[in-house]
Amino acid sequence: MSERNETHEPTEADLRDLLAGHIEKMLWPTLLLLLEGKAAHGYELIHALHEMDTIEGDLDPATVYRNLRRMEEDGLVSSYWENGPAGPARRLYTLSERGEQALHLCAPLVSNRKDRLERFLQRYSAVRADNGKEKPTK
Amino acid sequence: MSKTPLLILHAGALQHPMQRFAREFQNLFPEVEVRSESAGSRACARRLLEGRQVDIVALADPLIFDELLLPHPVQKYYIFATDQIVLTYHAPARGAESITAENWFEILLREDVSFIRSDENLDPCGYRTLMVWQLAEQHYGVPGLYQRLNAKCRSEQIYPKSLDLGSALLEGKADYAFQYLCEVKQFDLRYVTLPEEVNLSNPIFANLYTRATVEVEGKASGSKTVLTGEPIEFAIAIPVNSPQPEVAYEFLQLTLSAAGQRILDDCGLVAY
Repeated sequence: MSERNETHEPTEADLRDLLAGHIEKMLWPTLLLLLEGKAAHGYELIHALHEMDTIEGDLDPATVYRNLRRMEEDGLVSSYWENGPAGPARRLYTLSERGEQALHLCAPLVSNRKDRLERFLQRYSAVRADNGKEKPTK
Repeated sequence: MSKTPLLILHAGALQHPMQRFAREFQNLFPEVEVRSESAGSRACARRLLEGRQVDIVALADPLIFDELLLPHPVQKYYIFATDQIVLTYHAPARGAESITAENWFEILLREDVSFIRSDENLDPCGYRTLMVWQLAEQHYGVPGLYQRLNAKCRSEQIYPKSLDLGSALLEGKADYAFQYLCEVKQFDLRYVTLPEEVNLSNPIFANLYTRATVEVEGKASGSKTVLTGEPIEFAIAIPVNSPQPEVAYEFLQLTLSAAGQRILDDCGLVAY
């Protein structure tokens, strides 16, 4: 039994726009990274996401599987069923060519977000330091 | 001209998606007539072991394939969806106005409140409910909680399959039931979401779930098997003695396709 859903071909700009909405929660970038060079079951991905601890918000199975499906509809991952002769079979996810491209686009987007968060922390530290100087000593 | 019959034996919990699959399949293959029969998953397995021939078997626990059905009459099965155990109720349930994920067991143990579950020997939802109670005892730190819940839920409050529980709630036969989330939608029930450490839904708590064990009737008459807690999964297969294997293959392909995933999600399951 094998099944691969159809993929479409977004431009790089389309891809960047698509990914921009998923950088904050980090689920899509992390799934793309976990699938780089290695097919995995949803079950394994949930464990790996938990270990990496990069995700904002809930990490429940429904969220992970529904996002994998969205990513498949957007052509970033593809899936197929394990083809062994006997025993249990599970759906395996792999990174598509488009997904590979998306992963490389994610890196600068994540880096930009990291820079913005660092600027916030720097400003916060500066304000704290200034406030500390202004506080009257008891 | 008579239609080709496709015989499906499935867990009661899968009734809604199986009806949807059957409708979709008959649109695609009008020459086929889908005939479905449901029972608790362990009861389904026993029917197959007694020689019942069907084209598709869909169960609420992949372990039943391993324990009872491999290598005959099933060689290969597909694990295709997951779900969680929830505490369901109908609007007039006693205590419903104040029940939460933190106090549900206190309300269930009230004298004026009744609750029901399915049979652990026939239905995975039954042994999963007992596992949920064991995990709740640890999670909430209430020694003896499992025994107290178990003692209060007497034999007349135990039904053959989880799907029966929804009808019983609607008929006012009990205040609360332990069911799969996908069954809530079928009966338009209300429910309390239990913590992930308890509800058998999340693989990241798989090690924790193994602390719960339930003894059920085994393959041989009079034997016993101890089942260990695991995240809930559903699985489907074509038995090796399927009367219509080619048609069954087409049906299986539908259930595992993107369209099948959408149907499962619509029915409240989480499709793989």
